[in-house]
Amino acid sequence: MVIISMALHILCKEVDKMERQDRRSQILKILAKSIRRIIEEEVNDTDSLQEIRMRTGQPLRIMKANRDVLVPEGKVHIVTKEEMRETLDYISRYSLYAYENELRQGFLTVEGGHRVGVAGKVVMEKERVKNIQYISSVNIRVSHEVIGCADALLPYITKNKQVCHTLIISPPGCGKTTLIRDLIRQISDGNEYVKGCSVGVVDERSELGGCHMGIAQNQLGMRTDILDCCPKADGMIMLIRSMSPQVIAVDEIGTREDIHAVEYAMQCGCKLIASVHGLDMDEASKKPVLGELIRKRMFERYVVLGNGVHPGEIREIYDERGSVLCRDWQAVY
Amino acid sequence: MQRLAGSILIIAATTGAGWMYGTELKNYLQKLRYIRYVAGLIKGEMEYTGAPLAEVFRETGRRVKKPFSTWLIRMAAEIDEREESAFARIWNRGIDRDLKELNLQSEHSILLKEMGTFLGQLDRETAGRSMQLYLNRMDLEIEKLREGLEAKRRIGNCLGVMGGIFLVVVLL
Repeated sequence: MVIISMALHILCKEVDKMERQDRRSQILKILAKSIRRIIEEEVNDTDSLQEIRMRTGQPLRIMKANRDVLVPEGKVHIVTKEEMRETLDYISRYSLYAYENELRQGFLTVEGGHRVGVAGKVVMEKERVKNIQYISSVNIRVSHEVIGCADALLPYITKNKQVCHTLIISPPGCGKTTLIRDLIRQISDGNEYVKGCSVGVVDERSELGGCHMGIAQNQLGMRTDILDCCPKADGMIMLIRSMSPQVIAVDEIGTREDIHAVEYAMQCGCKLIASVHGLDMDEASKKPVLGELIRKRMFERYVVLGNGVHPGEIREIYDERGSVLCRDWQAVY
Repeated sequence: MQRLAGSILIIAATTGAGWMYGTELKNYLQKLRYIRYVAGLIKGEMEYTGAPLAEVFRETGRRVKKPFSTWLIRMAAEIDEREESAFARIWNRGIDRDLKELNLQSEHSILLKEMGTFLGQLDRETAGRSMQLYLNRMDLEIEKLREGLEAKRRIGNCLGVMGGIFLVVVLL
């Protein structure tokens, strides 16, 4: 028994090491060669690396363990136009035309689920953003999955091994996407709290799956179907018609159409997991259309996140009647 | 008798050489037509799927014959390696390395290399238009070659026979 557990431990460590190496090479290969060399020398540990910020004519900076650092340490490397162009070529694999839709939203997702935000001159057409030209800023956000961050939450949002309609309420940057991602994975794979079931994910901004060429780069479970870069309202209806999911997950619902689609999905027999921006239950129930859903007790659980010591802290969990199931609980991750 | 046999052989050899010249010209036209076909497939794939170049080349590479398949699939791998600062370098190197056996004339080789200068650099709409422009230029080249082909083949055949006869006369 001891030998087996030790072997498993070593195996896990090896897998972890390989994943880290993969992540490192994924990030390095999208950087211009000169910048690649600097990052290679300066950053040994991609676990703490959060962002690489490049601005034409400005010093190269990285965000590491919540600190904004100039690289190389003690020196300044000014990002040139050529480095920016080379980086964009590598990010887009010499095919910027293929990422027009993503660029219109100001970001694109690369292999490994890492998010590349861009800024530059916006080209408009018929009062809509057509493209971004003369890209002068690139922000590479390193994807960090937190596997198991929903472990402690799952017992509260399941009944008889079935997931409840759940709404996650959280201000920006409090970890709702990370939490939903892990919930999707666990619901899809199944565990002691929930029976594995098919999950449909509408990932409008490629944040949940971090899809690259249609393939989810984050672990979303074996029974998950993902609609990448699809508007939420349309996506939910498409999934119901085509994939018959038992659970539908969407991130950051906001528009009237989104909320009507959520209601439609609930009435189609699908369980729904959604998130919305907000400070607390009060604020969420004051939202025009969402408030209606809350008053109709459509959701069975409400999870309110905060950002106390670190992202992902669960402040409160409510049931459909608004009774508190849990308050000021320990951090989920 | 020996003289007769020798004369026949000489005439047959020169006629064969003339015929070979005509066939070479015909084959060259076929090669250009195939390059146009491959370029058309790349354009179609880019417009229809909107996929990045590596995927476009891989997909097209599966549908065309050698050496084009080798060329496209190798290029796709090189794109994924991200070791060249500009795509045009990968494209030009690929042509020089994998399409060498086609023995393209320098103007056609340059024409093919030109395609690499705009591939992937423009937005989808402009890229589509540039590709169409490129295909039109290819059509023009093919037409130019096709127009002169029959006359050149006939001249080749005649010169072959006549050259042989001339040689026989000189030798006799």
